[in-house]
Amino acid sequence: MKTIRWIFGGLKPAATFVLLLFASSAFAQATSVAEIKAPPLRKFSMPQPKRVQLANGMVIFLQEDHELPLIRAAALIRGGERNASADRIGLLSIYAGSWRTGGTASKTGDELDQFLEARAARVETGGGVESTNVSLDVLKGDFDAVFPIWADVLRNPAFRQDKIDLAKTQANTAISRRNDEPGGILARELVKLGYGPGSPYARQAEYATINSITRDDLVAFHKRFVHPNNIIVSVIGDFDSAKVEKKLRDAFSKWPRGQQVPPPVTDVTPARPGVYFVAKEDVTQANIGFVHPGVTRDNPDYYALVVMNEVFSGGFSGRLMQRLRSERGLTYGVGGGVGANWDYPGLFRAQMSTKSSTTLESIDALRGEINKLTKDPVTAAELSLAKESILNAFVFTMDTRAKALGQQVQLEFYGFPSDYWQKYPSNLEKVTAADAERVAKKYVHPGQLALLVVGNEKDFEKPLATLGNVQSIDITIPEPGAVPGATQSAPPVGSNAEGAALAKKVAAFVGNVAQLTSLKRTASMSMVTPQGPMEMEIIALMQYPQSQRVEMKMPTMQVTRVTTPEAGFMITPMGTQDIPSSQRAATMAELKTDLLVVLKNIDNPKYTFAAAGTEKIGEVSAAVIEIGADGPAVKWFVDPATGRLLRTSQSSPQGEMVTEYTEWKNFGGLNLPATAVVLRNGEKAAEMAVSAVEVNPGVPEDAFVKPAGK
Amino acid sequence: MKPAVRITVLLTLLAASLSAQDLASFEKRTSMRTLDNGLTVIITERHDAPVFSYATFVNSGSAQEVPGITGLAHMFEHMAFKGSDRLGTKDWEAEKKALQKVEETYAAYDRARRDMTQRDDAKVAQLEKAWRDAMDAADKFVVNDEFSQIIDRAGGVGLNAFTASDVTGYFFSAPSNRFELWAFLESERFRHPVFRQFYKERDVVMEERRMRTESSPIGRLVEQFLATAFIAHPYGFPTVGWPSDLQTFSATDADAFFRKYYVPANIVIAIVGDVNPAEAWPVIEKYFGRLPKAPEPEALRTVEPPQNAERTVILRETAQPIYLEGYHRPAVTHPDNATYDVISMLMSSGRTSRLYKSLVRDKKIAAVAQGFNGFPGEKYPNLFAFFGVTTPGHTPDEVAAAIAEEIEKLKTQDVPTDELQSVKTRVKAGLVRQLDSNSGLALQIASYQTIHGDWRELFREVERIDKVTAADVRRVANETFLPSKRTVAKIESTKTASAPKGESK
Repeated sequence: MKTIRWIFGGLKPAATFVLLLFASSAFAQATSVAEIKAPPLRKFSMPQPKRVQLANGMVIFLQEDHELPLIRAAALIRGGERNASADRIGLLSIYAGSWRTGGTASKTGDELDQFLEARAARVETGGGVESTNVSLDVLKGDFDAVFPIWADVLRNPAFRQDKIDLAKTQANTAISRRNDEPGGILARELVKLGYGPGSPYARQAEYATINSITRDDLVAFHKRFVHPNNIIVSVIGDFDSAKVEKKLRDAFSKWPRGQQVPPPVTDVTPARPGVYFVAKEDVTQANIGFVHPGVTRDNPDYYALVVMNEVFSGGFSGRLMQRLRSERGLTYGVGGGVGANWDYPGLFRAQMSTKSSTTLESIDALRGEINKLTKDPVTAAELSLAKESILNAFVFTMDTRAKALGQQVQLEFYGFPSDYWQKYPSNLEKVTAADAERVAKKYVHPGQLALLVVGNEKDFEKPLATLGNVQSIDITIPEPGAVPGATQSAPPVGSNAEGAALAKKVAAFVGNVAQLTSLKRTASMSMVTPQGPMEMEIIALMQYPQSQRVEMKMPTMQVTRVTTPEAGFMITPMGTQDIPSSQRAATMAELKTDLLVVLKNIDNPKYTFAAAGTEKIGEVSAAVIEIGADGPAVKWFVDPATGRLLRTSQSSPQGEMVTEYTEWKNFGGLNLPATAVVLRNGEKAAEMAVSAVEVNPGVPEDAFVKPAGK
Repeated sequence: MKPAVRITVLLTLLAASLSAQDLASFEKRTSMRTLDNGLTVIITERHDAPVFSYATFVNSGSAQEVPGITGLAHMFEHMAFKGSDRLGTKDWEAEKKALQKVEETYAAYDRARRDMTQRDDAKVAQLEKAWRDAMDAADKFVVNDEFSQIIDRAGGVGLNAFTASDVTGYFFSAPSNRFELWAFLESERFRHPVFRQFYKERDVVMEERRMRTESSPIGRLVEQFLATAFIAHPYGFPTVGWPSDLQTFSATDADAFFRKYYVPANIVIAIVGDVNPAEAWPVIEKYFGRLPKAPEPEALRTVEPPQNAERTVILRETAQPIYLEGYHRPAVTHPDNATYDVISMLMSSGRTSRLYKSLVRDKKIAAVAQGFNGFPGEKYPNLFAFFGVTTPGHTPDEVAAAIAEEIEKLKTQDVPTDELQSVKTRVKAGLVRQLDSNSGLALQIASYQTIHGDWRELFREVERIDKVTAADVRRVANETFLPSKRTVAKIESTKTASAPKGESK
């Protein structure tokens, strides 16, 4: 310690930053740090991006960087999870997760994947609490080819249903796994204690909220927020600014302005001070955290807090690492400080993990360090170490062109002055030991802390109750319940007796058990009249459980589509083509909800039947059955008196599909639909009339075989 | 036919010249020296900002351990932050004696407590007290974390280190006017490291083990997986160490490990950034020249014997299911390495990858499904692994079956030309994208120089990948992905999520 003080000794803080840069290199080999003189850091200023604002409000930053043949761009858009309504929590994960993958009006997401990855290019979408973004990363030679896709994704996303469902599967997977890692539980529950569980900064998606999200919600969110006046575009890489500026102007200057984004919510309702506990048995460590609300970045005390945080837990040199790790060996990871967000309050947090048998000891030690922060003054040595660490490392805040660009985008987004970072060193330089002490007293409140412990209490050295009243937090993941306004996308969890009985009733209406069991194939002929002029004759051959051959005869041509578990192809006048595997999978899934397939699987445990109340259809009070068909879901509306199926409804990539069965007839001993009307998203899409159904017909050998040649 | 061939040749030439130019331009700003003591240092200039990054790679990791000292390579890595005889001490001569006392009392205590037949608890307690008293006495001479504080104060950022099966790495970034300070500190920590606070740091490492392995389902899974897949080779040891070893080995053990493996000829340092080689070399010679020359450690003897029976390990947990399987493959220096890289890309890279399309997108049975290479290390024969994170309601067995389907396709069907080309294009672009960060480059250069013996392999590997054919992929898949070479590890959940599948067609 002595030697280091010697180097910096006697220098006033204000002069330190400059003077540190002087001195000459020693010729002799140094044997101590004191003998090593640092030469002046060479003068440099990182080139700043060019800022352009279009008449419609869009802000553009252009940063040339010719080192590598790459171009990266991003559109940062105001509006994020905090702007989603409270009954659609998790909206952003579905929105951002299906924005790019759901494709554009002209191309599916899968087509984009193929196109982009063949060029090693990336166009991605993301979203968070405050914003969403569409990014581009491309070799410069492909910029012209990929730029239009990026712009198209930004403006014309299609949000196809299959990718919404995929995003929901991903979100539900995350929910199902959120209690597996103890560190994750601590981080999440600490945030809820700090902001209050209903806060837009803490609320948590559940199966029910995810399942309630519809395509319409995503389209509405896009429509609401993606306007040029809410967007900051940044481009960096090996390009000519004038040319790229023109390209951006051509693409975006005619885009009209839209609604502004409302100011952020800044209210917080933290938990009452006290001890909170989450039981987790499969761990050998306790995770410990203290929390209460913090500050925003525009707080005049921000710089003093940065210094105080550095003293408290900066790197390996901070008090927490020194005292709890190096001196006591209690923990591997410990950290904390007063957090500051740019436009909403951060949190004060102090957290660590320790073996179960030192939980109470660690709580005491960590609380002791928090108390000391407000009592023990910051020493001169601590102050100089903290400030020098920050100021000497300041060069790393702008050591690449990308960082300089990122800073300008961030300042623009939050409405901070563009010279914020230029002034940062002098603002930090002004902080005194008295300031650090003052802000510690002002912003750290030991009496207001919520303490959270996640662990296996039977292994703690003492019961947690020795700290006072302990409130247990139940982290059981709620099962998906009925959510108001929810569509079909939540399949039922399991069968109930009423649902199973209703399904049996439908089966009895259609045929007897022996008939259904012995059913191997059906061949049907029907006329389908879509909205519009084209009438189609359809001959469908079903071979249960999963093979289907559909011949569609239109006035001008005939198309045959075959899907089996092994293959999928279309025979058209232009030749035979394989069906993309995604489409085949969709058809296979669709088949699982086919009336006869469901009835044949009535005793299959992978099929679930849950009664879900009644709904009026015409004069009939129809019983609703929610059916989980080994993956996909469908809802049946049944006349409880007769077992006649009146209506089915299900989600599809095209939207909400409802089929109204208007007439049933006996075909080959089975009672089957004779006429039906199909509605898509509430609008009539087609009418169907079945003229014949053959039960267990003979099948040509090649009915499901892909023709050779052509 | 003719024009097509000509275009292909032209494209290949173009690609080759592009990547050659990259390596050439890179070589122009890169210089390498081996000092008299055998230390290899590589400097790559990037003058955008007055900063530099470095990575020191020691060609030793947990694969150099034997039962009884597992975790010691990692333990030494922690000790490399504790200073030297000149850094971190108030009085070295006095501290030295106090530390000797700590070792003597620990040896006595440790022997007594591990006595299987005649353990005398009172005696053990007495010896333990003597040891703890000796530690308290030694701690009085310690200047806490002085090494780290000097770096923090000088504006160093990203100070850290890692231990892997193959290597141990140390790194940070600093303003370029601190080059000499860096050379002093980095050479000092390996010139005369002092194992002060060793037993407290051992507790810290035990906490690291509890955090990363014991309290994490994935940590537990991977530890069991490796211990099952390797029956002889040290790749089967957890890098963090087995708890018994971690609670037993001594500073004396760590010192022996240091003397054997931390010899200059076994160390590579890569520096990238605003460094002028003409000025830097004398500084490097001056400081790193202090490290004494010593013989290189003997190469590892143990080779994993061929696996001829499938192994499976099942963890029954309250956590959600995960599926992991691995197949033995040769070391990274094997000529088929590029083909393994291609297979890894085909199966896992991006949304056009086969596992994504099948398991994630179409079947929706996994939220993530990937194959990866070089596990847990690559210097020695290792594993090609596949894993799948199930979606609610789906099982590891479904994931296994779907992965098997994709492996079967690799074995029986040629990879379509456009798919192979897409992978190669992404590998080339991936290399370019790696070149824009000082710290990332320093790690890559040090890694390639250490494990491949030449940093230029970073570029050459891309050229080799460019030559991989569909036939190579089929051949290697057929040689590698055999049930008898497979180890499976899975978490089966005793509390399966009954969540909605969220797939409503």
